[in-house]
Amino acid sequence: MGLLTILKKLKQKEREMRLLMLGLDNAGKTTILKKFNGEDVSTISPTLGFNIKTLEHRGYKLNMWDVGGQKSLRSYWRNYFESTDGLVWVVDSADRLRLDDCRQELSALLLEEALALDDIKSHHWCILGCSAVTGDNLLTGVDWLLDDIAARIFTAD
Amino acid sequence: MSSSRRKPASTFNKTHGDVDPDRKTVGGMLKKLKSKRSQTEKWPVVTEDELKALGSDISPDHVLGLRDVTEDYLCKPEDNIYNIDFTRFKIRDLETGTVLFEIAKPPISPVEGEEEGADVDISAGRFVRYQFTPAFLKLCTVGATVEFTVGDRPINSFRMIERHYFQGRLLKNFDFDFGFCIPNSRNTCEHIYEFPQLPEDLIRQMVEHPYETRSDSFYFVDNKLIMHNKADYAYNGGL
Repeated sequence: MGLLTILKKLKQKEREMRLLMLGLDNAGKTTILKKFNGEDVSTISPTLGFNIKTLEHRGYKLNMWDVGGQKSLRSYWRNYFESTDGLVWVVDSADRLRLDDCRQELSALLLEEALALDDIKSHHWCILGCSAVTGDNLLTGVDWLLDDIAARIFTAD
Repeated sequence: MSSSRRKPASTFNKTHGDVDPDRKTVGGMLKKLKSKRSQTEKWPVVTEDELKALGSDISPDHVLGLRDVTEDYLCKPEDNIYNIDFTRFKIRDLETGTVLFEIAKPPISPVEGEEEGADVDISAGRFVRYQFTPAFLKLCTVGATVEFTVGDRPINSFRMIERHYFQGRLLKNFDFDFGFCIPNSRNTCEHIYEFPQLPEDLIRQMVEHPYETRSDSFYFVDNKLIMHNKADYAYNGGL
């Protein structure tokens, strides 16, 4: 048994992933988090810090982090990158006025020309329309992320 | 994101993401694994007296070596120089979507527990007494939420370790690393987990011996103990 095999086995045993949700304020990050975890989404207030959910899904331990998106909080986002395995960038598609802000923030985040997503070569990505209110496509999105992370860190190391 | 990773420090026993009331979309896909025993049993044993002798430098590794609930507090209230304040506790049953228990500090008025008959006194600040009905011990999947606020300085590394015992037996060990906390922030964390499946005779004992189920909650900033809270539990409500 080679070292690589042993390492793979170790990581498979842990099966723990950390997902980070970011985006402009009022994009729906907390609503997604709550909806995904079966909580009431009728009263959501601005996140002035973080909301974390730890849960088990498909045999993975998931730590989902939702960090507030207000302008004053964005400079703190970097503090949450370090151990993150996957990023969910939440865009309110109805907030057309701020779509450009949204693009710039993601650009700054990835240090890439973002939302010209075809140009992004350094990350795997997937854009998925969804509804935080109905829950439509939330599971599909999280499952895509899990499969992609699993392929990267549990087998492709 | 980059493929570099580290291992999150969370080592709580068991979580279960049975998350959507619409069970056919989520519930069926989830694998129910057997609850694992606490992973700290092999930790070098340490006693409360040994830790007290250390004075002010108690680390996570120290408290993981404890084998029973502490009699005293291992730090002083004034050690909480970061003004961390716990403002809400909530427990919900994910099978039914019911909030079993919720208490919040003013200005939000406390909501008394309903379904499972919870009753609590938080007047003492560092100590909470919970009273549940026996049905509480039969729950399958619960979500436990804490909400806390942080003072006006940033915290680089915030970690919580919570240990639950019944008569000297460790029932559960939660260990979670919050990492960085934004100054003047309000944060929440919900652990969704499968309730430990306890043997019938142990459940009976826990019901018959109210307040002998006890817990220590230790909070560390930069690996130094800054807060220590306690709770005890009765499960004979309504009997």
